[in-house]
Amino acid sequence: MTVELPVGGRTLATPSRLMPTGTRALATLRQLRPVILPLATAGAGLVLWQCVCTLFHIPQVILPTPTEIAVELWRILPVLLREAVPTTLDSLAAFAFATVLGVALAIAITYSPLIRDTFYPNLVAFQLVPKVALAPLFVVWLGITSESRIAFSTFTCFFPVVISSVVGFSSADPSTLRLCRSLTASDWQSFLLVRFPFALPAIFNGMKIAITLAVIGVIIGEFISAKAGLGYYILYAGSHMDTAAIFALFVLCAMGVLLFGAVALAERQVRNRFGRR
Amino acid sequence: MAAVQDAPAVPLPRPVIGEAAWRLGRTIGLPLAFAIFSVVAWELVCRLTKISPELLPPPSAVWEVLVGNPAILIEQAIPTTIELIASFGIAAAVGVLLAIAITSSEAVREALYPNIVMFQVIPKIALAPLFIVWLGVGGRSIITVGVFIAFFPVVVSTATGLVSAKPDVLQLCRSLTASEWQVFRLARFPYAMPYLFAGMKVGVTMAMIGVVVGEFITAQAGLGYIIMFASSAGETATVLAAIVVLCAIGLVLYGVVGLGELAVARWYGGQLPTSGVI
Repeated sequence: MTVELPVGGRTLATPSRLMPTGTRALATLRQLRPVILPLATAGAGLVLWQCVCTLFHIPQVILPTPTEIAVELWRILPVLLREAVPTTLDSLAAFAFATVLGVALAIAITYSPLIRDTFYPNLVAFQLVPKVALAPLFVVWLGITSESRIAFSTFTCFFPVVISSVVGFSSADPSTLRLCRSLTASDWQSFLLVRFPFALPAIFNGMKIAITLAVIGVIIGEFISAKAGLGYYILYAGSHMDTAAIFALFVLCAMGVLLFGAVALAERQVRNRFGRR
Repeated sequence: MAAVQDAPAVPLPRPVIGEAAWRLGRTIGLPLAFAIFSVVAWELVCRLTKISPELLPPPSAVWEVLVGNPAILIEQAIPTTIELIASFGIAAAVGVLLAIAITSSEAVREALYPNIVMFQVIPKIALAPLFIVWLGVGGRSIITVGVFIAFFPVVVSTATGLVSAKPDVLQLCRSLTASEWQVFRLARFPYAMPYLFAGMKVGVTMAMIGVVVGEFITAQAGLGYIIMFASSAGETATVLAAIVVLCAIGLVLYGVVGLGELAVARWYGGQLPTSGVI
């Protein structure tokens, strides 16, 4: 689930100094096209939504218009932000646990063939198990506490990190590893200087999947057990036929995008530090 | 990978067949042994420490529910399976069609693709209660939740695949004056196959999550409903038995997608053009 733009065969025309001003403006416009077009589409979608709602007199209970949503959203934003705090904290905690445990287990799997042969196939099989179904059991085990949601969420987002990191650690260039051995680098040195940098893109891929799953895990946990949080708010509002849940959704979207963006940003920083590959 | 070639070319004398058999035994035996060991350890821990079965029933209790009362589980599995197949089928069909539409022109792709990628990141499961407001309690809203969650990985993966055909091949097609449709059918679509199936495999798992969560919060029937009901009644063995059934359904569906991939690979002549890429 890598999120990358497909690269077309087209190369962008670079504005040349020799071009007349009009052409240069056009070239700049064309360079901005990948930004403008999606935004315009999203805007058009919102306008269409607004028009459909007004023209067909759709009741607000079923689907409020974007303007109504914006006004309402502004009004209840403080409440939503308060609800967003536990959700964000739980997601971050689960994500951190999953990353640390996942990378550690991946290192163990990479360095010990015995651990690899024993655990790895079971881990891959576990990927297919619908882990969501276990959510009520976490409530039975750990109660309706925040810990139970963090544990459940860690459990759901742990597996992509392990599997991605294992792939990453074993993707180090064999000739570089051999060079390390010839230069009598210690295991630790060759890990830090070769295996780890080589594994970074794959580890971050796993982390990107994990941050999305962490939020999903916490939301599901809040659906079934919480007394606070955005998931609780959405379910509560929905059961009262109150589409204010949509507003909570906007906050949630922003939260998801922000968390994902933070991981992507961290990836850029770390990869700059270790030299781009 | 060039490093493999400068390895010493002299093969060491060793018993080849015994080695291979031992390796095979190790790759299959070790994980199986570990799985069996875990189950036995679980059983022993439950019996020796007398953990209350409400907290953690031993595997034998789960087995008893599975064997002793299969009628209820099967009855509840039917709506779940139908919802799962429906939501995965719709998501796959709509997803592939949308991916084809998106990649048909550069402008459409640039306009829609970033928005869809954005949707990938949003925790869509949070929409589940809204679908109940819109579509009511029942199968329809559960299927919609499943479709909505399973749909995005299929689109993103297929769209990536459709633009990943080798430029050389596309150039060759153009020089041979192939029509758009021919280029699509003979070059771009086959190249997209591994991506398409990768997306569908994620989609199956996602559809499962959607259906189960949908059943958690709305259903009057289905395995998700049984899990919720049994867990609130403290019948943890039933919860675990329902999860086992759910896993079996998931594995079968995943296997069907895998078989489909094999069949398509064979149809396109032995192997997929980019096999090994993913």
